[in-house]
Amino acid sequence: MKKNDFSHARREFIKKTGVASAALLSLSALSSVIPMGNGKAGKGDWLGPRAAEAAPTAPSTGAIKDKLRATFGDRKIEMSHVTMKTPIIAENGAVVPVSISSDLPMEPGNYVKKIYIFVDANYNPFIASMDLTPASGKAAFSLRIKMRKTSQVRAIVETNKGKLYGMTKTVKVTIGGCGG
Amino acid sequence: MPQGIGKIKIRLPRTVRKGQVIAVKTLILHPMETGLRTDKKTKKKIPAYYINDVSIYYGGQLITHEDWTIAVSANPFMSFYLKADKEAPLKIVWKDNKGGVYQKTVQITPR
Amino acid sequence: MYKKISILLKTLVLPAAVMLVTGTLGVGTWAQAATQSGNKIEKLTPSMSYAEYQKRYEKYYGDFTAQMAEEGNPAEFLLDDGKDLANKVVGSKGKSCASCHGKDALQLKGAATTFPKYNAELKGIMTFPLQINTCREKQMGAKPLKYESYDQLALTMYIKSLSNGMPIKVSIDGPARPFYEKGQVAYYKRQGQLNFSCAICHVQYAGYKARSNLISNNKHHADHWPCYRLKWGKTGSLQRRFRGCLKNMRAKKPPFQSEELRNMELYLTYLNNGDLIQVPGMRM
Repeated sequence: MKKNDFSHARREFIKKTGVASAALLSLSALSSVIPMGNGKAGKGDWLGPRAAEAAPTAPSTGAIKDKLRATFGDRKIEMSHVTMKTPIIAENGAVVPVSISSDLPMEPGNYVKKIYIFVDANYNPFIASMDLTPASGKAAFSLRIKMRKTSQVRAIVETNKGKLYGMTKTVKVTIGGCGG
Repeated sequence: MPQGIGKIKIRLPRTVRKGQVIAVKTLILHPMETGLRTDKKTKKKIPAYYINDVSIYYGGQLITHEDWTIAVSANPFMSFYLKADKEAPLKIVWKDNKGGVYQKTVQITPR
Repeated sequence: MYKKISILLKTLVLPAAVMLVTGTLGVGTWAQAATQSGNKIEKLTPSMSYAEYQKRYEKYYGDFTAQMAEEGNPAEFLLDDGKDLANKVVGSKGKSCASCHGKDALQLKGAATTFPKYNAELKGIMTFPLQINTCREKQMGAKPLKYESYDQLALTMYIKSLSNGMPIKVSIDGPARPFYEKGQVAYYKRQGQLNFSCAICHVQYAGYKARSNLISNNKHHADHWPCYRLKWGKTGSLQRRFRGCLKNMRAKKPPFQSEELRNMELYLTYLNNGDLIQVPGMRM
């Protein structure tokens, strides 16, 4: 019985505040559609339209683009011939297993020269590179890497003829998850 | 800091046939400090201490060379492939930015 | 016009308010039930079968931890050091583990399968790390190893790894029974600010997500410790994991090898009876 009373009171309270806030909301909603005052939104006019001023800054992808341009120039990266295995979710960004392999031939005169790993969100997007020779037999390697936050992992393979192949995958880093 | 920096484990397949492409798996104990962390007690930055250069020699010939940055995990695991076409030692050398050199040699005897 | 809009919004706001009230009421009754339960065990049923849980796990995480463990587990470095420690002479009586248990302590093969078990001298449950420390103090005259220290984990891991591939067979008959029941109560007891119990997550909601983690089923929870955990980036024991979970529940953390944790370890290990020991393990 007591509980019911309480809930009733609460309901009433919320009803009232709800009406009040509804009134406020409708006011502001109106104001955003119809410019108030002289019709021009001044600098200090808090009721004026705000779409222009608070444009969210997109996460900068400049670092990775610069890095890729610095390492590969303007050569085109073809998204084929490379496979990469990563977990979908990593509970600790400090240990993310990545394995890269390529089906490109490894023969003298026609082989994979270098494999690169990049992570977009790291301060230094370049993680590691590996120089290969035909004696490797297979263009593949795996490594455990650190990731600052959820981002894309890029694997790029360079052949001795200067052609580039690549693959990207997203890994979610959920630090602060439930595991104690 | 973990004990025993520079301890190495190299894992090869149990049997190696001649000309077979085998996977070599390696583990090395190393803290791989990024230089970005601060010590909780002294409030000072922990200096960077990481492996930046890995070379793999097979029969005296450099077959693979790797460049690493701070973003390789602590106690780095690395695996690579190798064409076992001769009986020769496989030597792997890790170098860190403070001048530490860690190496281990295993013999590959293909049948 | 204003009136019309206000009425329209009112109709929108009202259901939200009702939802709020019912929501708070729901929490109230839930808390009440928990305080009333006391030492009784809540009746919780798993919301899905183990096969269904496995399917979800595979879909969400894949098999990459198993693969990583196969490729190279950093905890394996501890195994070698543990072997050296087992042969090392320490203490006032000039003994090592090897002087009683054979070279490399190989006679202790299979010893880890029956732990934790009742000990009459202790009048409580003897866990494996505690047994090693008791042995060191009484038989060797050496200092006990600090829990979660490198040496302690290495020695525990080495001696446990001798029983790899053998099924766990923990007994709860006779004097161990009350401790098992205490452990069960602790496992089902709601505690902490979040008012969780171990069981609510790992029995009832296993297979659902909590903060983008899939909650694990309590099968295979106790067969691979000490293990290397990716989240820690280090090797740790089962009791460290218990304490981590208790911290997340905003509950009081009992110290290592305290009675509560030992009883809980007995309960959990008994649940895993029949699972094969595989030390060192590797987890998320």
